[in-house]
Amino acid sequence: MKSSDKLAGHTFEELSDYLDRDRSPADPSIDGSPECEIALRGMERLRNTQRALLKKDVELESEREDSWVSTILQAISIEARAGRDIPISHPSSTARLSVTEGAVRGILRAAGDSIPNIIVGRCRLDGDVSEPGAPVTVRVDATVLEGEIIPSLVVALREALYVALHQHTELAVEAVDITIRDLYQPVPPRAKASSDE
Amino acid sequence: MPNTPTRAPLASPLESFPDQTLADRAADGDIRAFEVLVRRYGPLMRVYASRVLGSNDEMDDVVQESFITAWQQLPTLENGAAVKSWLMRIVSRKSVDRLRARRHHVDIDLTDAPAPERHSPHRLAEAESQTEALTRVLADLPEDQRRCWMLRELAECSYGDIAEELELPVSTVRGLLARARKTLLQEMEEWR
Repeated sequence: MKSSDKLAGHTFEELSDYLDRDRSPADPSIDGSPECEIALRGMERLRNTQRALLKKDVELESEREDSWVSTILQAISIEARAGRDIPISHPSSTARLSVTEGAVRGILRAAGDSIPNIIVGRCRLDGDVSEPGAPVTVRVDATVLEGEIIPSLVVALREALYVALHQHTELAVEAVDITIRDLYQPVPPRAKASSDE
Repeated sequence: MPNTPTRAPLASPLESFPDQTLADRAADGDIRAFEVLVRRYGPLMRVYASRVLGSNDEMDDVVQESFITAWQQLPTLENGAAVKSWLMRIVSRKSVDRLRARRHHVDIDLTDAPAPERHSPHRLAEAESQTEALTRVLADLPEDQRRCWMLRELAECSYGDIAEELELPVSTVRGLLARARKTLLQEMEEWR
């Protein structure tokens, strides 16, 4: 195959592109050409070989002891996500207590995690949280397990979030807005585990 | 494979969460969600780095740097569902930076850089594993073709993502990818 060769009127580039579009929409002038078929099959073979090698190497990497994971986790800083300070009242006039916005988001996630089949994603506190008594709207994104009844899960989640906020903060929560962004399907925890069965 | 697991699996349900949720939670400061992403895509990123660098020596550093950058920049990631290709783009960038730094160093030292030996077919067939052969053939590709191909085939990035990453028009990406495939295909005839 020379670089100048045209394959049944198609360039190699067109064929490569066609492969990446999963041969869709079907082009009869490509599908019907033996030369094109040979080139496409070659590219597919290359891809399959590459994928098999990659899969093997990734599996080997996954089986390694994972000190590298802890090294990474030790190197990142939670302070980067602290956000604003939210004051908490105290009887002593000289004491100043506060909880960080990041900690409150953690509290919201933990509260959400107590409700099965709904997962809390992003949490936002809208309003002047550093000003005691200022109205605050809590906005939470969540994902629901496919097949679940969304309204009742949302009611349960909202209740759990209110309780947690009331228990741990003095925020004047005006509203808790929950947006269901997506549905999720149960994913087997580990691809490996299922193949070992 | 009869391998004994070298570590206990995480008991956390987070492990089964979709990418979007993990990325969103990590952006909000959930280190455990970030850990799941590290475990989910770290191995692929390590392989990617080692393919670019041609060795495992610097892989740990590159992948660690990539995840530190990812942690810092996660709040700016708009679509958490795209976290995989976003991570792969970061590791691709860091690997290439490392490679360039290494080459620069070699140039300054005026040492004999290990010139890529022209591969003879028998060598590809016998002395090397397929991974080594692929790495070698890839190393001979022009850098833009190699980056393009790896972002497509290993990182599974879209043409649009690759174009953005390499700051090239999509049409150029398409051309580079086709040329890389053509060369690899010709080389692959040797290792069947």
